[in-house]
Amino acid sequence: MNNLSAYDELDQAIDQMLAEPEAALAHSESKFGELVELAADLRHLPRANFKTRLRLELEWEAAGRRVLAEEPRQARRVETEERNVSPVMPSLLGKSWAGYPVRRVNFVLSVALHAVMAFMVGAGFLMVKSTVPRVEPRTSISVRLEPYVVPAGSHPSHGGGSGGAAERIRASVGVAPRAAQEQLTPPIILRNNQQPRLVAETTVLAPPDITLPSTRQIGDPLSNLAAPSNGPGVAGGIGGNAGTGVGGDGGPGRGPGAGGGCCGGLYTPGNGVSMPRAIYSPEPEFSEEARKSKFQGEVTLLATIGADGLPRNLTVVRSLGMGLDEKALEAVRTWRFDPARKDGRPVAVQMNIIVNFNLF
Amino acid sequence: MNAVANLANLTSLNDERLLIEAAQSDPGRFAELYENNFNRVYAFVARRVNDREEAQDVTAEVFHQALKNLGRFQWRGVPFAAWLLRIAANALADRWQRAARGVEVPAEEGLEDRAEAAAGDMEVERRAMLFQLVERLPEDQRLVVVRRFVDQKSVREIARELGRSEGAVKQLQFRALETLRGQVRNRHE
Repeated sequence: MNNLSAYDELDQAIDQMLAEPEAALAHSESKFGELVELAADLRHLPRANFKTRLRLELEWEAAGRRVLAEEPRQARRVETEERNVSPVMPSLLGKSWAGYPVRRVNFVLSVALHAVMAFMVGAGFLMVKSTVPRVEPRTSISVRLEPYVVPAGSHPSHGGGSGGAAERIRASVGVAPRAAQEQLTPPIILRNNQQPRLVAETTVLAPPDITLPSTRQIGDPLSNLAAPSNGPGVAGGIGGNAGTGVGGDGGPGRGPGAGGGCCGGLYTPGNGVSMPRAIYSPEPEFSEEARKSKFQGEVTLLATIGADGLPRNLTVVRSLGMGLDEKALEAVRTWRFDPARKDGRPVAVQMNIIVNFNLF
Repeated sequence: MNAVANLANLTSLNDERLLIEAAQSDPGRFAELYENNFNRVYAFVARRVNDREEAQDVTAEVFHQALKNLGRFQWRGVPFAAWLLRIAANALADRWQRAARGVEVPAEEGLEDRAEAAAGDMEVERRAMLFQLVERLPEDQRLVVVRRFVDQKSVREIARELGRSEGAVKQLQFRALETLRGQVRNRHE
């Protein structure tokens, strides 16, 4: 207990000395006077690590390096104030009294090294050629199947007709009579009755809105004979078969084929004729020329889709150019269709195939 | 006894001369001269300036100049400390001259006289010895002395920092001062 009291008593005396240094003399004759005098001298001790730090500085300077040597007093004052104000990174640049002061040259070298590394990393982005490929325009090709619009519309294109007056020569050349939905009088080139009581216009059964070059002389458009003749056929038409039409294999129509209508034995979709369906349709390629020119548009082909599903008689009815017509033809030739049907039976139809070449 | 003391001084001077010559040929050996003279130079400077930071600045300046000019040092039988204290006196004079323009500064001759006189100043020697003894205290006592008298922290603050009771810190403080007093007495005797 006595010792503890002595510790407290000495501590109180030291507190007084630190508060009023002059008072240390007053304690010189007290119980702890000598110890308080020692304590007063100890106030002048250098800060911790100052000696070690200065030794390190001198060793480095002796090795030919300078660290904080001979700096102006004012600068050191500022450093001291900075140390007191901001202890953030106190050892940076050796501004603190830490045990391991930092050499200024080390810091500079570190910064320079980092800068070089950052430059090298950054230079990679500048020096290495970009490998991102140039984006080529993408192509899009769509195909649309449309019925070939034959003006006849409602009648199946059985086409063809024939007739004649059992003459010895083939029918003479001329235009077919006006097409009509019904036929009152078959076309006749050489009339036996020059003065009929009831005059009726000669017509053929064919789409009525087909416009044909009009000449005064009717006849078989496919004939090359100029001499008037109804042809060797029978039943009153023009041509070499039996019927009341013009040309063909018989019937009231015109052109090749038999029956009414025109133009041969083809249907067009509609009116009981289904649309053929493409079951194998590889896309046409974009031509290189069109791709470079960024050319796009539609090519319309006219095709006959046979009862066997094969496309035939492909013709370009609306050209686009730049090699795209050929590409469209080349592709569509390879197509296969589920053929059009009429009354459940596959029939050949004529239709448009529209190939749309797009770039985007 | 005096003869023994003189012989010891002579040996010490010879050793110091060898150290100086070694440091002149190899500046890396300057550290030993620094260790032997640091407390004396610091005590000399600290007695003349009232600010610890300034005392440290001047002390650092003295040793940097000493290292720089070591090659020009010529041994004349005077302790190396005297040369260092003269550098310190000049450094202090320069600072005072810069700090107080127009104020008459004592002539260099007078400063040298005072520096040489200060070298033998008992108080400086006593403080230098005291500072050196503090370095030899046990670590916990030395730490308490530095925190209490250099940083001027309270016992409570030190106890909190060191994780000890206030009583333990007071005890360490007491023992440190007792140890120092005993060693100082032994040195003087």
